[in-house]
Amino acid sequence: MSLQRKKSRVLQTTKKIGELIMAYFSQTSDAKAQGKPVAWVTVFTPVELLYAMDVYPIAPEHFGAMCSARGFILDYLQEAEREGYSQNLCSYSRCSLGYVLSGTSGLMPPPDILVTFRNSCDVYVKWWQSLHMHLGTPLFVGETPYVLTSEDLDNYVLDYVVKQLEQLVEMAEEKFGSRLDMEKLADIVRLSDKASELWLETLKLRRFRPCPLGGRDSASDIFPLVVMQGTTEAVEFYEELLEEVKQKVNMGEGVLENERFRLLFDGIWLWHAFDLIKYFEDRGAVFVYEPYSDAWAYRLDASKPLESIARKILAMGLNVDIDIRTERFSESIEEFQIDGAVLFSNRSCKTWSTPQLVTADILNKNFNVPYLLFEADMADPRQYAEAQIKNRIDAFLEVLGER
Amino acid sequence: MKIPIGIRDLCENPTEILNRYEDSGVKVIGFTCSYVPEELIISAGLQPYRITNIGANTSALTPSFVCPFASATLENIIKHEDFFSGFIVAHTCDPMWRLYDILKKKIGKPLFLLRVPHNTDNELSLDFFRMELMRFKKFLEKNFETRIDHSALFSSIELCNESRDLLKSIYVLNSGGEYKINAFDRFHLVLASMWMPKPEINTQIKALNFNNGETYGDVRLHLNGTAIYDLVLLKTIEESGGFAASDDLCTGSRYFWSNVEKSEDPISALSNRYLKRTPCPSHAPLEQRLEYINFMIEEFKVQGVLTFAEGFCDPILYDSVHIRNMLAKKGIPTMVIDYENPAQEIGRIKTRVEAFIESISG
Ligand code: SF4
Ligand code: SF4
Repeated sequence: MSLQRKKSRVLQTTKKIGELIMAYFSQTSDAKAQGKPVAWVTVFTPVELLYAMDVYPIAPEHFGAMCSARGFILDYLQEAEREGYSQNLCSYSRCSLGYVLSGTSGLMPPPDILVTFRNSCDVYVKWWQSLHMHLGTPLFVGETPYVLTSEDLDNYVLDYVVKQLEQLVEMAEEKFGSRLDMEKLADIVRLSDKASELWLETLKLRRFRPCPLGGRDSASDIFPLVVMQGTTEAVEFYEELLEEVKQKVNMGEGVLENERFRLLFDGIWLWHAFDLIKYFEDRGAVFVYEPYSDAWAYRLDASKPLESIARKILAMGLNVDIDIRTERFSESIEEFQIDGAVLFSNRSCKTWSTPQLVTADILNKNFNVPYLLFEADMADPRQYAEAQIKNRIDAFLEVLGER
Repeated sequence: MKIPIGIRDLCENPTEILNRYEDSGVKVIGFTCSYVPEELIISAGLQPYRITNIGANTSALTPSFVCPFASATLENIIKHEDFFSGFIVAHTCDPMWRLYDILKKKIGKPLFLLRVPHNTDNELSLDFFRMELMRFKKFLEKNFETRIDHSALFSSIELCNESRDLLKSIYVLNSGGEYKINAFDRFHLVLASMWMPKPEINTQIKALNFNNGETYGDVRLHLNGTAIYDLVLLKTIEESGGFAASDDLCTGSRYFWSNVEKSEDPISALSNRYLKRTPCPSHAPLEQRLEYINFMIEEFKVQGVLTFAEGFCDPILYDSVHIRNMLAKKGIPTMVIDYENPAQEIGRIKTRVEAFIESISG
């Protein structure tokens, strides 16, 4: 196989993510220092609502990804394991539990409230309970029932979630004495919607050949949509990103000079082995679609802020029925002209990995898309057999090359 | 006590009874979880049957790092699909939720996912669960061309209440430090209640004689976990000089501890009973679960808490840390034994159970 000679390129806008992350952490620490409440949230919680009440959200999942990417996660994982948390548990959760057990001093200021809605996984419930047991901080566990049909986004399921949002507001008002200002909420929802709109538009541009935005970009660029929804900083970031990507499309410039394979990636990225994406790129393979990147964007209606937010946290990627999910998968195959799929069977994430073989089968049988499925952990570097995985990637790309 | 031979055989091979149902033409609904109200299935003139992991290997459809119990249950559903007229899966933990996804693509029989709220101590959740039970009722009515009326529902509630009363009355024989019935036998009766027609098992239980002077291990343990169908595990405790005086399993006390209250609105009454009972480890609130374990320990004069954990069972693996921390304050020792296939690992399990019991008896 001929290796891609020219160095792969990451977008200029993507390079600003590091700064944005640091600014975000210091802003939250400043808020804490000024006596403002900080909430530890799971990533698909109504952060818009929290911002509107002047509560500052921090996402331990994001913290776990960051610790893993920057190579200092092991100490935290081991601290949690010493307390008795099994290595079989989600490594994001072990990371933040280790952080708490080792004194909660670092980038994440200690929480004043713990908020989760069970949507991505049921682990959220156990993890947030565990944080609550160690920290004694007030806990809010919300339920977002699995969306079985699109009707659930309008019927008693939606009502249930809206009412729980109201409960969360009540709890925050009571604990922090803050009031929910509906006008402020509408403004925030507008900003959040704008960021989603821009991101979705940007992702669509990946249908061009050569693909202007690769896996390393998409994996980093979702950060503002994770915890900064509803902020002007997020909107500005996505405006700039869209502009850059449009320019690339106009100039016919892609991530790779010689794009050979267009791939779908299913899973969370391996933060500790981020270079794996480059390994693909060096061999002419670019990632053009990931359900993971899609999952973060959701259009909101500022005239119905609570309902919109409720729909958003209900309809996040993994919380909708398998038929709806596979339909989206299928559409993407044509839209992005996908040659092959890479499925990451993630030991941490049982909710994602469990039905993966069944989806892979559908891709293969119905769309004749070959796939590679490999096992590792997204954040725990001890669960990663690099040489073996790279061998399998080589073999997979060879198969694609022969088609 | 002598467990009738039929019940012993059934517990060794729980699918055997499916042949009988098939011969008699009874329609059987398979369900996976104790959050599924059997009352509704019975009131539709159908036979509920709780699907187990017994007799199956883990399914090749799931990754190796997913709870082997859930995976083997999936395998059993697919293997025995022909015996059933439909399946009810409950959303409790991640693997059970995703079982529904896989089954939707792999089986042809009517399939229903019961969405059990994870925050169970909340009026909104009760209302929501009530709506879910209405949806469940409609599912049964539509797929099995029947109508579930109030009187059918009232009598099935009464029947299930009777069954729970009987199981509880046996269970409490061991309270206050008594030794009346060993756990191995007791579990036979609970499990049989999930597989046999209720009137039949109720009659058999009523005919049993509980005071026959057997002696058991004398270290009194509380058994913590999720679902255990493999009674070899219970045997192991008793052979090692222990006695599972109490438990909080969904194949144990959590199955029958509380009853459905009489009410004008039977669906609300069911919603109340099923959500307000002691929560499964996969649900919130944890404090309520810890309270229940505490209560059991006091009530049954327990000296140690043993957790049998399916490898990769997230709920238990998180909870066990807090159970240990809570009980350490009371000076009650705990041990977690995890496994993937009890039958194959029984030697190792037994060694650990023995060591735990020895450490308690000094
Ligand atoms: S990685 Fe998976 S299991 Fe862990 S928090 Fe995320 S969705 Fe849940
Ligand atoms: S043993 Fe644990 S992970 Fe397995 S099905 Fe039960 S609660 Fe879920």
